[in-house]
Amino acid sequence: MTVLEAREIEKRFGGVVALDRANLVCRQGRITGLLGANGSGKSTMSKIITGVYSADAGEIHYHGKTVRYRSPNEAKLDGIAMVFQNLSLVADLTVWQNIVLGAEQASGLFLNNKAAIEQSREIVEQLLPGLDVRRMVHELNPGEMQIVEIAKAISEDPRLLILDEPTAALEQAQVKSLFQTMRELVKKGVAIVFTSHRLWEVMEICDDVVIFRNGRNVADLDFSKDVKDPETIVSHITGEAGKAKTERIRRRENQEIVLRVSNLNYGSFIRDVSFELKRGEILGIGGLAGQGQHELMLALAGNYAGVAGEVELNGKKIKLNRPASAIRNSILLVPGDRQLEGLFLGHSVFTNLIFPKLGLKAQPLFTPENKYRKEAADIVDVLSIMTHNLDMPVNSLSGGNQQKVVVGKWLAFDTNVLLLADPAKGVDVGAKRDLYDYITEQVSENKMSVVLYASDNEELIEHCDRLLIMYEGQIVASLEGDEINDDAIVATSMRVR
Amino acid sequence: MKNNSVLKRLISNPDFSRLLILILMFVLTAVLQRNFFAMRSIVRNIDSFMPLILMTMGQAVVIISGGLDLSVGTALSLLTCVLTSVMRAGVPITGLYALVVTFAVAMAIGAINGVGIGYLRIPPVIVTFATSFIWLGIALFLRPTPGGETVDWFQAFYRIRNIETAPAFLKAFGEIIPPSLILILIGCLVWWIVSRTRTGRYIYAVGGNSQSAYETGINTAWVQMKACMINSVFIFLTALFFVGQNGSGDARMGDPLTLKAIAAAVVGGIALTGGRGSVFFALIGALIFSFVSKIIFFANIPNAYQTLFGGLIVIIAIAASQIYTLSSRRTGQESKLT
Amino acid sequence: MSLLSKIRDTPVYNAVDRYKKLIIAFLLIVLLFVVGEIVLETFFSVGQILLTVKLASFIALFGLCQMVVIASGGSGLDLSVGYMATMTAVFTAAIMDGQNSNLWMAILVALGLGIAVGLVNGVLTAYVKLPPLVVTLAMANILQGIINAYTAGKNITGRPSPVLQIIAAKSTGMFPNILFILLIVTPIVMIIMYKTKWGLKLFGSGANQTAAYLSGVNVKMVRCTAFIISGTLASLMGLVLIGNMGIAFKDMGSNYVMPSIAAVVVGGVSLTGGEGNYVGVLLGAIFLQTLTNLLVALGWGDAGKWTGFGIVLFVLLIVYVSNRRKR
Repeated sequence: MTVLEAREIEKRFGGVVALDRANLVCRQGRITGLLGANGSGKSTMSKIITGVYSADAGEIHYHGKTVRYRSPNEAKLDGIAMVFQNLSLVADLTVWQNIVLGAEQASGLFLNNKAAIEQSREIVEQLLPGLDVRRMVHELNPGEMQIVEIAKAISEDPRLLILDEPTAALEQAQVKSLFQTMRELVKKGVAIVFTSHRLWEVMEICDDVVIFRNGRNVADLDFSKDVKDPETIVSHITGEAGKAKTERIRRRENQEIVLRVSNLNYGSFIRDVSFELKRGEILGIGGLAGQGQHELMLALAGNYAGVAGEVELNGKKIKLNRPASAIRNSILLVPGDRQLEGLFLGHSVFTNLIFPKLGLKAQPLFTPENKYRKEAADIVDVLSIMTHNLDMPVNSLSGGNQQKVVVGKWLAFDTNVLLLADPAKGVDVGAKRDLYDYITEQVSENKMSVVLYASDNEELIEHCDRLLIMYEGQIVASLEGDEINDDAIVATSMRVR
Repeated sequence: MKNNSVLKRLISNPDFSRLLILILMFVLTAVLQRNFFAMRSIVRNIDSFMPLILMTMGQAVVIISGGLDLSVGTALSLLTCVLTSVMRAGVPITGLYALVVTFAVAMAIGAINGVGIGYLRIPPVIVTFATSFIWLGIALFLRPTPGGETVDWFQAFYRIRNIETAPAFLKAFGEIIPPSLILILIGCLVWWIVSRTRTGRYIYAVGGNSQSAYETGINTAWVQMKACMINSVFIFLTALFFVGQNGSGDARMGDPLTLKAIAAAVVGGIALTGGRGSVFFALIGALIFSFVSKIIFFANIPNAYQTLFGGLIVIIAIAASQIYTLSSRRTGQESKLT
Repeated sequence: MSLLSKIRDTPVYNAVDRYKKLIIAFLLIVLLFVVGEIVLETFFSVGQILLTVKLASFIALFGLCQMVVIASGGSGLDLSVGYMATMTAVFTAAIMDGQNSNLWMAILVALGLGIAVGLVNGVLTAYVKLPPLVVTLAMANILQGIINAYTAGKNITGRPSPVLQIIAAKSTGMFPNILFILLIVTPIVMIIMYKTKWGLKLFGSGANQTAAYLSGVNVKMVRCTAFIISGTLASLMGLVLIGNMGIAFKDMGSNYVMPSIAAVVVGGVSLTGGEGNYVGVLLGAIFLQTLTNLLVALGWGDAGKWTGFGIVLFVLLIVYVSNRRKR
């Protein structure tokens, strides 16, 4: 019996298409897997179903009636529960308090804590035996926190359970327990949607699989009928070579090493990372989302005071424990989240563009307004930033143009190493092209070296000379030249090869 | 082996340390104050500690819910002025009216602050800063100079041991259990009840992570408003005590208590960021604070320097407590900048 | 292009939009005068306006302290400015003792005190990361305590040097001299905040401390410096206050704390930091002083003044600051 049917869903974010007439069907008592590369739309689909986003077009039918939820809470009232990756727990409460939060039972005026503890213990025992439900959530490790999140969703007795990459933080054994619980739920008639990047998990637990690519469904595999072949699945995710292969510019091989990183360590995010960056090279950092790539970029930019390991720039040892030291060594970062990390949204384009200059020691007391205005105007020109004038507040610009400002503010600097943390995320095609044109020009003409992290594999394929794949904080593969293609990237990211 | 680790865990537990400090302060005060254990001294001590204790507990509730209330001092003053303005000496029924009206005013104060903090989401510091002047203004309007009237039975309750005609057993009762202690117990009872209800749980949830609480369907604004109104109950009880003891209302008497209440709450383990701490330990924080003040008093520091020391203690206490409270929480594994 | 977007492109519209908070503040002042004139008939006169401006100048200068600290972000606020000024006034009164010769020493002492207090505030808030509200409130208490200890049992002696009295209390023709000080200070402040690298760093730290940090700015140092500046300015204001009143007394400065913050709010400066126009603070100060005068003229006295302030501030907070949760 069909529990949920999503038809012809369309969703755009600014100029970027996230879902293009996508479909999804969930059946009672079945586990449906959602697969797809970063940005393929599978997460967006889940979020539209549960009301976090609203679809631009299309319909969702739940138990026969048309629904349009405006918040996860509304969906919850209807029996749809979702477990996200970003935690929605209250760290200062205990496990059991979190599980029953919002749905506490009370006898008269007072809460019935005994019942709550019992109920929580039952659910948690199934998922993670031995976890004391009276512990405070802030004492737990990420895996345990994820289990509590899942327990919370299950406690609401949902009829449709959506698990968005629930296993990302879990260890093998915990995953097995989770699967056990999922099977029990399915016996009770719950429909489950399950997303994971680990192919073996999907193949083990799912009854059928829907594969997304570029916002569309490209394959619907029923595991009771179709054959389970990982390579086939990977090729669905990446798509056959129907696209014209973009000519990759062969850059002249230059063996001079600009940056040498040895045994870089930071918490659990960066584990023993070592690599070399050659002058005039674009080195890519790829892999599944959240494997430490963003943290690696921040570490190289001097953001973490406690980072361990050695870094050599042009043969000289340098310390990267403050952003100012990275900047003085001309290692410049274009941060990943431009709104949170890169821009002063209320300030003008001009102010944003010249801001980094203020950190330099040689900066005069009175900012030379005319000189800087001219420089700013030059930058706007070079990058084709669409703005009425330099004094417009930067939040009036489109996403793509905002990103150009984030890149542009470093333009006047002599750059040794440019760190790009997903520079084209959420940026429209035209602005993306402008940005990469500029960067590749700088690389060929001025021998600037670039470390590029992109969540879109296409960008990596098109621009990188070499590509390092990260997984759980470590570098697990290195691809060079023609080895860099979609298949190889996805396969190594998912640890199939 | 086992004993060592139990001991270690006990010491690093901040709550245990607070109890230790309390006992230490208690002992020091006992040593310095003559007749510490005399009934009269005990009663007087409890009387002098009581305002801070109740104000601290109320403030703690607001802070836990994610707010902060800078207007508690002037609110207290206002309530004393309302009490003494409604009551008319010689007309016993006005005492009852006064209680009802003053309680209503207290709830209004809590509601207004609550609307500002919870619904309008104005930073609590600023909005209660603003409202503190509204309370002050109204208080000055009612009582430009300290004064006012009270009814006999209201004050009798506080002076029972001094009234000749009262029956002997009531006098003895008044000796052993001073009214201030009863008021503290009422306060504790109020919180004990609240903490076992949904509201109590939600106060912690909203203060701990208001976004998560909101997403779980909790009405965060209403919860914060309730927290402010619970605070008002504590302020109301304190006002009763002041008027009972002094027989007059004063528009400026509450001013020094605001900062002390906040500091005492922090000493008691309430984190200013919200979501953590126990109201009962806030009480202990207030006790520690009060004992330290007594110690300074008995150490014969000249009167003139006492305000100075008061301020210094606040800073040291808050700095130490804040550092201690924050370090006891395991640092998160999330990737955070700076 | 539609008519609406055509209008949006004109320079006039852009100017109005950017300065709308200033315009509102100005209109509020006009409103008060109109109300006063209707009710009292003698409210709107040259003498009244000049007196208002003179008293407002004091508020505006204290407001500058707040603006610097608030603009640096991190919930910055300085509640110690009142007692800072009082303490300097009390200490320097004896030094000056009515003579001009010791004025330089008085100024040096004022600077020293201001820097010291500001430094303590700055370190405790920026480096030890205690909330600015609590720190500066406690500092106010400490300063009050120091004043109490210093003046215990004796009268505060000393009078300000005549130069100070001329600056603070007297007028040239019909214009109060303090107004000239303000007119000099304002452009200097605007230049420093908008045209120097320090000013841009200040606003950057307040607008987005992460972005500022990643651009190489030492945010902690910037915020600490903001408090040092606030303390120093407040201390110098102590000299001005004693010049105005002729003597020093214990509560000289504390009446200025609330209005200084209120002026900043009325002037449209964002309380989270990152932006600020000193002209707005000036208008805010004038508005508050006008409001006070109106309330006093209506016979409402102290009670009315504080209640009125509180309500006005509350309403303005609702308009400017409230942040209803967006669905």
